[in-house]
Amino acid sequence: MLFNSLEFFVFLPIVFALYWGIGSKHIKAQNLLIALASYVFYGWWDWRFLSLILFSSLVDYSIGRALGKAEKTSKRKVLLWISICVNLGFLGFFKYYNFFIDSLVSSFTFFGSELSINTLNIILPVGISFYTFQTLSYTIDVYNKKLEPTNNFVGFMAFVSFFPQLVAGPIERATNLLPQFSVKRNFDYNRAVDGLRQVLWGLFKKVVIADNCAKYANMIFNNHTEYNGSTLLLGAFFFAFQIYGDFSGYSDIAIGISRLFGFNLKRNFAFPYFSRDIAEFWRRWHISLSTWFRDYLYIPLGGSRGGTKMKVRNTFIIFIVSGFWHGANWTFIVWGALNAIYFLPLLLANKNRVNTNLVAEGRYLPNLKELGQMAITFFITLIAWVFFRADNVGHAFDYLKGTFNASLFSWVEIFPTTILGLLAIFLVIEWLGRSYEYAIENVDFMKRPVRWSFYIALIILMFAFTGEEQEFIYFQF
Amino acid sequence: MKRFLKHIVIGLLIFAGVNLILVVIYEYPVYKAIKNKTHRNYLKWNDIHTNKNSYDLVIIGSSRAYTAYNPVVIDSALQLKSYNMGTSSQDIVESYYTLKEVFDYQKPKYVVFDVFFPCSDDLLDYYQIFSNASFFESNKRKLELVTQGYGSSGVLNYTIPLVKYRNYIKQDIGGLFSDNKTPRKEDNWIRGYLNDSSVVSKEKIEHFNPISNYQNVNFDASRFQTYLKKIKDLAEANNAQLICLRSPYPPSRLALSETDDEKLYFEEHIDPKTAVFYDLNSYKTVEKYIYTDQDFADYHHPNISGAKKASAQLVDIIKAKL
Repeated sequence: MLFNSLEFFVFLPIVFALYWGIGSKHIKAQNLLIALASYVFYGWWDWRFLSLILFSSLVDYSIGRALGKAEKTSKRKVLLWISICVNLGFLGFFKYYNFFIDSLVSSFTFFGSELSINTLNIILPVGISFYTFQTLSYTIDVYNKKLEPTNNFVGFMAFVSFFPQLVAGPIERATNLLPQFSVKRNFDYNRAVDGLRQVLWGLFKKVVIADNCAKYANMIFNNHTEYNGSTLLLGAFFFAFQIYGDFSGYSDIAIGISRLFGFNLKRNFAFPYFSRDIAEFWRRWHISLSTWFRDYLYIPLGGSRGGTKMKVRNTFIIFIVSGFWHGANWTFIVWGALNAIYFLPLLLANKNRVNTNLVAEGRYLPNLKELGQMAITFFITLIAWVFFRADNVGHAFDYLKGTFNASLFSWVEIFPTTILGLLAIFLVIEWLGRSYEYAIENVDFMKRPVRWSFYIALIILMFAFTGEEQEFIYFQF
Repeated sequence: MKRFLKHIVIGLLIFAGVNLILVVIYEYPVYKAIKNKTHRNYLKWNDIHTNKNSYDLVIIGSSRAYTAYNPVVIDSALQLKSYNMGTSSQDIVESYYTLKEVFDYQKPKYVVFDVFFPCSDDLLDYYQIFSNASFFESNKRKLELVTQGYGSSGVLNYTIPLVKYRNYIKQDIGGLFSDNKTPRKEDNWIRGYLNDSSVVSKEKIEHFNPISNYQNVNFDASRFQTYLKKIKDLAEANNAQLICLRSPYPPSRLALSETDDEKLYFEEHIDPKTAVFYDLNSYKTVEKYIYTDQDFADYHHPNISGAKKASAQLVDIIKAKL
C-alpha cells in the first residue's frame, strides 16, 4: 500500500478511528491493532512475505528473552550470532544471492573458466533491509545491556512491523521506539496537527517534487547518449531532487503518521543539500541508517580511535557497506566508495566536525563562503548520485564522460520551466525552514487564513501534479 | 480530540469549497458555450440525438479522428451521410460507450474507429471523457461509463473536481512559469470534423519528437483488447462494419520513429476476425496518398489538405469492401 494511494487514504482514517476509539487505557489492544493494521498494510503488496516478518519477530523476541536470562558471555555471543545469521541470512538470500552468483560467474569467466550456477527467480520483499536492521538493533542492544528484553510479544510485533515506517524507514532503534509501546499514548492536539502538517509536506515532496523530477531524470538517464553535457548535468540535478523528495518525503509522512498515533520517531533528514561539507551531508542524510552503521559497525570496528590505517579502513568499510545495503549492484558499492573518498580527507585532517551548526544561522542569506561550500558539496554529491542512479558502472562512466566535455557549456536541451519553477519555490521554503525539524514546521507565525491558504495551495499543487505515480525509490532497498 | 476532529471537518469543508470554486472556474465556460450553442461536444450530440437514423457512417476516436476524416469528402464519393464523432482525448472505453449511445439514435452501416494508443494509456483525461459523456441522453449509460468503464479511478475523478481538472490546473500553473501562449484558433466544424487550414511551421517540424508507442505510454494492452472486442461485437450486433484506422502522421515524425506501434500491435495481437486495421501512412503507396509535413496543422493533426487525403483513403478502403 503506497502512502500516496487511494487505499491508504481509506486505510489510515479507519485505523486512526479504531485506535483512538479503543482508548489510551487499553495499551495492549492498541498495540494489537497496530500490529494487525501493519500486517494488512504490508500484506497488501504480497501476503506471503508476512511470514518473514513474523518469523523475524519470533526469532528476535525469543533471542531477546534468552539473552535476558543468559549470564555466560559465550552463550550470549552464540545467541547474538544466531540473531545476526538469521536476519542477515534472510537479507542475504533475498537481496544478494543473485548478485553473488552473477559476480562469481563473471569472475570465473574473466579468468577463462566456466562456472555454471543458475541464479534464482527471487522476489525482493519490500522493505526487508529496513525491518531487518530495526529488529537487529533490538538484539544487539539487549546483548550490550542497553535495553531490557521485552516480554510483551504483541508490543514487539508492533515495534518490528509498525506500518508508518515499516517499508522505508526511518530505521528506528529499539531503545527509542520499543518503550513507547509499553506506555500510555494520549491524544495530543498539537502533536496530531504537527503530524498532519508533516504528512502534508512529505506528500508534497513526493508527489510534486520527486515524481516530477523523476520524469526528467528517467528521460535523461535512459537516453543519455542523445543529450549534451549541460542536459546530463541537469539530469543528475533532477535525480538529486527526485531521491531527496522521494525518500525524505516518505520519512516525513512516516514521522507525521506516527505522531497521529502518539509515537515519536527519530528525524531522518535535516536539509542535507544545505551542507557545507560531505561530513555534514552525512550527518543530515538518512540519519537513521548512518547512525545505525556508526553505532553497530563503525564503533565496534574501532571507529576513528586508531591510527590512520584503521581510520581509512573503517571509513571505507562503513561507506561501502552502506552502499551495498542500498542494493545488490556494483553501482551502489562505487557510490559508497566515492563518498568514502570524499569523506576521508576531512577525517584525516580532523575537519569532519567543523560544520556542526546550522548554515547561515540567524541570517536570511548565506555568505559567499557558505554558498561556495554548499555548491561544491552539492556538486560532488551529484557526481556520486550518477553512480547511484545508473544501471551499471559502465553506464555511470559513460554518463559522466558525456557530461564533462565541451558540450557542458552549451545550453540545455531540456528546460522544463514548470518543474524548475516549483523546485525554486521548494528550495526557498526549505531554506527558510531549515532550523526546524521539517521545512513547514513553524508556519504558526502566519495568521490562520494565510496558513490555511498555504495548506490549500500545497494540496492543489499535489492534486495537479499527481498522475505519473512512481513507487518510492527506497522500497526496493 | 474533539478540537482535532472539528478542524478536520473544517478542512474537509474548505476542500469541498475549493472543489466548488474549481467547478465554477472550469465549467462556467462550458455552460456559456452550451448556452450559446458553440460547445463542440454539445453540438455533435445534438446532431446525433435530433437527426435520428440519418447517418450511415460514424467515425469515433480522438482529435486525430476529428481532424482527419471530412464527411463532405466521404459522402460525395460514397453517396452516404457520415458523421465524425471523434472527441478530444477519446479513450477506447469512452469510444465504446459513445458508440453505444450512437446506436440508440442511428443505424450506421460503417463504424470507423481511429486508433491512437496514447489516449488509452494510464494518464486518461477524465475532464474530456466526462465532458463527452455528459451529453449522453441515457443517465444509466453515464453511470456505467464512470463505474464500469473506469472503476474506482473513474469514481474518484468524477466526484473530486480537483482530480478531474488536474491536467488543466497543471497547465495553468505551468503558464505562470512560461510565456509560451498560443492564441486559440477559430473553429470551423463540418458534421463533427474540424476543418483546420493551418500548416505546421518549419520550426516546429525541426523540434518533432518520435511518435510515442505502446511501449512508452504505459499502454494497457488487455484493456484495449477487451474494449476493441466489445466495439466489434457492438458493431456486429447492430449490423455495422468496423474499420480500424490509424490516421496519418507527418513524414518527418515517422522518420524519427523506430516503431510503427499500432500497426505492429494489430499484426501481433489482434485477430483479423476481430478487426481489420489500416495504417494510412502505409496504405497504398500511390502518389495521391503520400503525405508531406504541409498536410498537418501540428505534430499529429492533419489539416484540410491532410484530411482530404485521409478521407479519400477511407473512401478507397470502403469501396474495396463493397
